[in-house]
Amino acid sequence: MLWDATLETLFMVSSATVLATIIGLPLGILLATTEENHILEQIVLNKALGAIVNLGRSVPFIILMVAIIPFTRKIVGTSIGTTAAIVPLTVAAIPFVARLVEGALKEVDPGVIEAAESMGASPPEIIYKVLIPEALPALVLAVTLTAVNLIGYSAMAGAIGGGGLGDLAIRFGYQRFRGDVMIQTVVILIILVQGIQMVGDKIAHKLYHKN
Amino acid sequence: MIIFKNVDRTFAGKDTVHALKNINLNIPEGKIFGIIGQSGAGKSTLVRCINMLEKPDRGDIIVDGVLMNNLDAKELRIERKKIGMIFQHFNLLNSRTVFGNIAFPLELAGASKDEIKEKVQNLVSLVGLTDKLNAYPEQLSGGQKQRVGIARALATEPKLLLCDEATSALDPETTTSVLKLLQEINEKLQLTIVIITHEMSVIQEICDKVAVLENGFLQEVGPVIDVFTNPQSVATQRMLQGFLATNYKAQPSEISNTLLRLTFVDKKTHDPIISQMVRAYELDVNILFGRVDQMKETPFGMLLIELSGNHEKKENAITYLRNNGVKVEVLN
Repeated sequence: MLWDATLETLFMVSSATVLATIIGLPLGILLATTEENHILEQIVLNKALGAIVNLGRSVPFIILMVAIIPFTRKIVGTSIGTTAAIVPLTVAAIPFVARLVEGALKEVDPGVIEAAESMGASPPEIIYKVLIPEALPALVLAVTLTAVNLIGYSAMAGAIGGGGLGDLAIRFGYQRFRGDVMIQTVVILIILVQGIQMVGDKIAHKLYHKN
Repeated sequence: MIIFKNVDRTFAGKDTVHALKNINLNIPEGKIFGIIGQSGAGKSTLVRCINMLEKPDRGDIIVDGVLMNNLDAKELRIERKKIGMIFQHFNLLNSRTVFGNIAFPLELAGASKDEIKEKVQNLVSLVGLTDKLNAYPEQLSGGQKQRVGIARALATEPKLLLCDEATSALDPETTTSVLKLLQEINEKLQLTIVIITHEMSVIQEICDKVAVLENGFLQEVGPVIDVFTNPQSVATQRMLQGFLATNYKAQPSEISNTLLRLTFVDKKTHDPIISQMVRAYELDVNILFGRVDQMKETPFGMLLIELSGNHEKKENAITYLRNNGVKVEVLN
């Protein structure tokens, strides 16, 4: 029971992290590079994107989850279960990833970007050969933070039939007064969070070449 | 090589800054050209106008026959690949090794792997970093980082190298070695080099010609030796103050003595002109202050002397000095 719930949580969190990164990364790149004086300056687009991202981030997850049920149904055919939970988790994580990516890319030394421009690099070349490699440690930490956050969200998704550790803790630990189950799920959640953070930190540290 | 025609550049903002005001400048090919000015004088903007990192509001910039300010983005990228640039803070990619950094412009130019390998090998030996090929920038000293910057700038075999305060973050010893490298490159590759600096010593050590910039205005342009020995503008005179001690204040020990400032350039510093003068005109000479400097390869000396003797002899002596190519100024 506990093992199955753990696997369900891992499935939800990893799928949502991957999907949110796939969509959030380009969004974050766009947010960073369309800013004033950046390589793809588009102030109107930048402001519009920023507003949409903020909108996404200001809706509490529990409300977002319920509000997008019709959308979830359209995509996976149902609004109940682990697979269905991936949709709201991804939607919630996209603006989060986008902002973290934006922040990471803005940390890249403008002098290095200028140097690349002086060598005749095009905007896509600057993105792929300068911004992403230079910000890679920060990007890894951003994905790590997203995954950790999604573990928390996934517990909430469990509360409305998403399965996973959150579901187990509520149904057995809380509603059936099984204190032991409650403690076990909490311990597993802590181990998951610690483990993810540790792996993320290790990878980021390996990539770090800045003094 | 580079022509500036009526170039203006302002930065709009809370306080509008007029960074460049009607700049007209001609930078000759194959020479080391210095642009000096204090911070805020507009020199960084000036050098960035050459490769259009800053676009002028008005005026034309022509580099090797190409009108830079009319190019579209793609054409500009092609032209930029022909212009190398190095920076005060080196601006290396921290995520790449020395090899990777030097390979970067070659990747942009679409060179093959073998080509890149061969070129990078040649470049690291040119800048003396053969043993650092796999080091990351964090493992290098400031001087080594700038050498990587130079190698990277030369990778695409540009005809022009722009240096933006390239030695300002380096200690004096490292500065000298980096300047020496730039001079070697200038001679070996017949490369035109434009150097932006606020340090007189950089101009003195390697530049052939110099332009003085103050408050966005070009104050004067000329061969370094002329500008340094005979500054025309107030700005240049002020910058030279203390640097060559040309304004050293001295009083003659006796009111009847004549105080002279003598300036010798090049071969004249090797000739025993003073002792010949003393013997020929039977005068007494007292040296109050003296200094010999070197402008790139040209020695340059300055002496403050006082002459005592009769008037006619003194006049003759001054004529003798002038006839021997010494610049003589009578200070009292």
